[in-house]
Amino acid sequence: MILKVKNLHKIYKNGMHALKGLNIEVQKGEFLVIIGLSGSGKSTLLRCINRLIEPTAGTVEFMGKDITHVKGEELRKVKAQIGMIFQHFNLINRHSVLKNVISGKLGQLKTLNSILGNFTDDIYEEAYRNLEIVGIKEKAKERADTLSGGEQQRVAIARSLMQNPKLLLADEPVASLDPATSNSVMKFFEKVNKEFGTTVICNLHFLSLVRKYATRVIALKSGEIIYEGEPSEIDEKWFKTIYGEEAEEVEIR
Amino acid sequence: MTNKTDNNQSPIDIIRQNQRLEERVNFIKAIFLDIFFVFYSILLLQRAIYYKFILDLRDIPFSWEGIIILFVISVFIGASWTFTKTSLSCKLFGIAKDNKVTKWSVEISGWFLFNITFIAGWIITKLSIVDLFSSEGIKGAERLFGALFKPEFGIFDDALFAMIETIYIALLATLISIPITLFISFFTARNLMKGNKTTFIIYYVLRLILNFVRSIEPLIWAIIFSVWVGIGPFAGMIALLVHTIASNAKLYSEAIESIEQGPVEAISATGANKIQVVWYAVVPQIILPFLSFTIYRWDINVRMATIIGLVGGGGIGTMLMQYQGLAMWHEVGLIVLMIAIVVWVMDYISAKIREAIY
Repeated sequence: MILKVKNLHKIYKNGMHALKGLNIEVQKGEFLVIIGLSGSGKSTLLRCINRLIEPTAGTVEFMGKDITHVKGEELRKVKAQIGMIFQHFNLINRHSVLKNVISGKLGQLKTLNSILGNFTDDIYEEAYRNLEIVGIKEKAKERADTLSGGEQQRVAIARSLMQNPKLLLADEPVASLDPATSNSVMKFFEKVNKEFGTTVICNLHFLSLVRKYATRVIALKSGEIIYEGEPSEIDEKWFKTIYGEEAEEVEIR
Repeated sequence: MTNKTDNNQSPIDIIRQNQRLEERVNFIKAIFLDIFFVFYSILLLQRAIYYKFILDLRDIPFSWEGIIILFVISVFIGASWTFTKTSLSCKLFGIAKDNKVTKWSVEISGWFLFNITFIAGWIITKLSIVDLFSSEGIKGAERLFGALFKPEFGIFDDALFAMIETIYIALLATLISIPITLFISFFTARNLMKGNKTTFIIYYVLRLILNFVRSIEPLIWAIIFSVWVGIGPFAGMIALLVHTIASNAKLYSEAIESIEQGPVEAISATGANKIQVVWYAVVPQIILPFLSFTIYRWDINVRMATIIGLVGGGGIGTMLMQYQGLAMWHEVGLIVLMIAIVVWVMDYISAKIREAIY
C-alpha cells in the first residue's frame, strides 16, 4: 500500500469544513480518480496529502510512514517523492521550458548549485529524456509562456517526472484545456502510470475521461466520500447523486 | 491557523470556538472605536465649534483636567453605545443588531461625524474667500509672475552646473539603494515571512522601522544629515538614499506579496527549500516590477533633490533658495524654468523606459 489516509479533517480559518473524516487507501500502481463538484474538497484532499496545506486532524501515511507531522528536511524529502500537477500548470513563465523541467529536481539539489545554475550533464540529459517522453523536446529552449496550454501541462508533467515520483497527484490537470488536448494530456498520465508504475491520484470532471483512464473512482460531496468503486459502475442514478439532480452528463470525445 | 490535532475535540467545536473568539475580539475593537468616535465629536464640538466659532475666542482655554473629564464622559457614552449593539463600530465590525434602531443610529452618527469634521476643518484652516480675492494680494502675485516669466539668462552656466549636481544626487541615491532595498524587501514580505514565529517577528520589527523612516520626510532627513555630514550634495544624497530605501522596500515587498501563488506552490511541491522557492518561483515574477519601481523612483528623486536643496542638500534647490532670499525673481524664474524642463524630460524618459520593459 502506498498511501493510507485515516479520518482526515480539514477546517479552514474561515470555519469552512472542507474534509470531514476521509478514509482512503491507495495501492501501488493504481490510477485513482476523484470526482465531485467544485468545492467538494478534492483539491484540499490532494494538498493535504503532500502537505501543501496542513490537515486539521487525522493521519496520512505514505509508503508505510506517518507523514502528517513531519517537518523541515524530512518533509522536503517526502515532497520530493510526490509529484504534483496543477490546473493552471504553474510554470515559471519567464524561464525556458528546460529550466522549468529542471526545477522539478530542486528537492534533490544543493541550494548553492541550484541558485548559481550549476547543473550536471546527467540532469540535463534527464530533463531532455523527460521532455521526450511528453513529446516536446524540440521546444526546450523556448520561453514557457509562449507554449499552448496543452504543451505547458506536458512541461509540468516532465517537471514532476524529474522527481522520479512514487506518487503523482494531479489537481484537475485538464480543466483549463480543450477536449481534444485534454485527452492527449491524459494519455501521458496513462503512459506514466503504465510504463513507470507510478501511482496516480487525479481530480477530474469529465466522466468520459474517468471511464477511460481510471482504475478506481472516489466521489466526494461536501467533504465526504459518497461513492467508491469501478468507473463503469457509475450509472445515471449515481451521477445524479454526485452532481445533483439538475446535472446532465456532457459527452466529450 | 487552526492546527489543532487534538482528536478529542470535534471539528464542529473548533469552528464554534473560533467564531466565539472572533466575536469577542470584534466587540472589544468596537468599544475602542466607539469611544474614539464619541471623544472626537465632543472634542470638536467643544473646541472648534463652541469656543472658536460660536464664542469666537482668540485664545482657547486649555487644561488637561478638562480634556480628561471629556474623555471619561466619552468612555461612558461610547461603551454604552457599543453595548446596545446599535453603534457605528458594531456595524463596521459586523456584530450589530439587524434592526431599524441600528440603521438610524449608523446613518445619523455617520452624517454627524462627516459634517463636524468638515466644519472644524474649515475653521481650523482659516479658509477665507476674502483673502484669496483681495486686490492688493492679486497685484503682488501679478508682479511676481511677471518677473518669473522674464527669466534672467545671465546665471545660466551656474544653474546648469547646479542642475547636473541635482541629477547626480538623485541617480546615486537610487543606485546605492537598489542592492540594500532588494535585500530588505524579502524580509518584509508577509507571504514569505508568516511561516513561523521568528521570521514573523523579524518581518514585524523591520516593517516598523521602515514605516518610521518613511514617515519622516526627505526634507527632515536632509536637515539631520546636513548637521551630521555637513551642508552640501552629500547630505542631500544620503537623505534621499535613506528615504528611497524605506519607500522602495515597501513597494518591492508589496510586489512580492502580490505574486501568483501557483508557481510557489509548484516549486515547494518538488521538495525545494525556502531559498530555492524564492529564487525559482518568486524572483522571476518580481524582476520587472522592481525595475519599474526603481526607474520611477529615480524620477521622483530628481524632483525631491531640488526640494532637499532648499534646506542645504546641495544642487539647484540651494541655488533657488539663495536667489529667493534676495528676492531676485528674474533669476528665480530661470531656475524654476530649468527645473520644470528637467522634471518633464525625466518624467517622459522614465515612462518610456517603463513601457519598454513591460
